[in-house]
Amino acid sequence: MYIIVEDDPSVADALESLLSGAGLPVRVFASAEELIHSAPPTPEDTMIVDLGLPGMSGGELVRHLEKAGATPRVIAISGKSSRTIARETEGLAAVKILRKPPAADWLEAITA
Amino acid sequence: MGELEDRRTAVSEARFESLLDTAADGVIVIDETGRMLVFNKICEQLFGYTSQEAIGQNVSLIMPPEFSVSHDRFMHNYHRTGEKRIIGIGREVSGMHRDGTVFPLELSVGEAKTAEGRQYIGVLRDLRSRRAVEQRVSQLQAQVVHMTRLSAMDEMGAAMAHELNQPLTALLLYLQAVARQVRACHADEKPPSDKMLGVLDKAVLEAERASHIVQRMRQMVEKRDPERATIDLREVVNEALDLSEFVAQGATVTIRRVFGMTPIQVDADATQIQQIILNLLRNALEVAKESEERWVKVSIGSDDRSAFVSVTDSGPGFSEDVGKSLFRTFSTTKKSGMGLGLAISRAIAQNHGGDLMADPGGNGQGATFTLMLPMHHSDEAEEDTWG
Ligand SMILES: Nc1ncnc2c1ncn2[C@@H]1O[C@H](COP(=O)(O)OP(=O)(O)OP(=O)(O)O)[C@@H](O)[C@H]1O
Ligand SMILES: [Mg+2]
Repeated sequence: MYIIVEDDPSVADALESLLSGAGLPVRVFASAEELIHSAPPTPEDTMIVDLGLPGMSGGELVRHLEKAGATPRVIAISGKSSRTIARETEGLAAVKILRKPPAADWLEAITA
Repeated sequence: MGELEDRRTAVSEARFESLLDTAADGVIVIDETGRMLVFNKICEQLFGYTSQEAIGQNVSLIMPPEFSVSHDRFMHNYHRTGEKRIIGIGREVSGMHRDGTVFPLELSVGEAKTAEGRQYIGVLRDLRSRRAVEQRVSQLQAQVVHMTRLSAMDEMGAAMAHELNQPLTALLLYLQAVARQVRACHADEKPPSDKMLGVLDKAVLEAERASHIVQRMRQMVEKRDPERATIDLREVVNEALDLSEFVAQGATVTIRRVFGMTPIQVDADATQIQQIILNLLRNALEVAKESEERWVKVSIGSDDRSAFVSVTDSGPGFSEDVGKSLFRTFSTTKKSGMGLGLAISRAIAQNHGGDLMADPGGNGQGATFTLMLPMHHSDEAEEDTWG
């Protein structure tokens, strides 16, 4: 399962189009809280998470899931500067970063 | 004892004189007849006479002739009636240098009653230097404005990158999705599906969102010369309201118009004024939508000098904190706001010689934003047609 956590509805919808268009199973959440209150992800899942979520941030969400022991594969997306991204992902186990706007094919990057 | 007294006076006089000479202002003391008793160093520079030359002469020495006549009359008048024209008040007068140069002075006069009769102390400040200072200050101000514009551009770069990121990301992802599907269709020799067209439509919307952001940014940087015309503010505002009601079709917020019967004429760029109204309206509608009563009131009025357009809403008003940065570029409390609406609007208003003011409301009152513009004056217009 591919889990998208992104508050910008257009970006979330576009990502969903890209993934489901390729026949992949997708679920979309608008916030970290929404995801936490639904079924927790499993290690088989891939979670694509915006680092700059309102409320609980993307980084906090990953930390929260790590603590709960339910760590999916994480791909963080962000439009911020590399320095800000480094600060926001500090101390996290290996996360793949995709920067907005996309410079290459994201489907390949996500499924790789 | 008399000797001691004399010595004391001599000492205090010496101190007085050295004080006078360090004073930044010109100091002149005259007696009842207008004879100069004190003429300090600054006065020597101001008027080109040494103190030896000046002391003992009538103060008219340093006035342009037309002033010296009325000065005598003033003094005479004052002695007779006690009516104060300048004493304790201070005013701008003209002085004349030895070489005939007439220049502006600020003069304050004090009166002292001494054993030798009444004396008048005049403190003189050369206004030419103040004018120079004023000019310098306005130059500096222009520089500061330029600098803040530059730093606003810096901020703008950052904000622009941030704002454009989302629509561009969505746009590119939609296109990637369609490209893949088209390729897949080709491989299977199937025609493209409606679903792909749907995705393309969304891509177009995102491209429009991005270009809309660029347009708004451009309004901020570009200072196009306003196209001024004499317009009836009621018509221009009405049009803007019609437009926004049309756009917001089916919205549940009532827009109340409180307009008078008489035209309110201002010299302005109609499109720019409508831009202000639309910005104010958009803000007002956004908060009114969430309020219980759901109305926005737009009223137009005027006094002899200014015309006003006020936009009030049924929202909660804004806090003191928000009020502090209200008109600053990129200050917003909204997730999707750019914090440009009010900054642009105020800039336009000030460009028109007017202003944009905000009343925070609160305690159940909505905020009120008032656009003020100078009224059109018909005589000016006639001159215009000749010029
Ligand atoms: N009618 C109002 N009532 C309460 N608060 C207001 C009102 N109008 C403006 N504000 C406050 O002033 C801020 C700045 O307004 P401004 O129009 O400059 O930017 P914005 O609406 O946030 O974004 P933009 O207009 O660029 O989309 C708003 O974020 C809001 O907090
Ligand atoms: Mg606004």
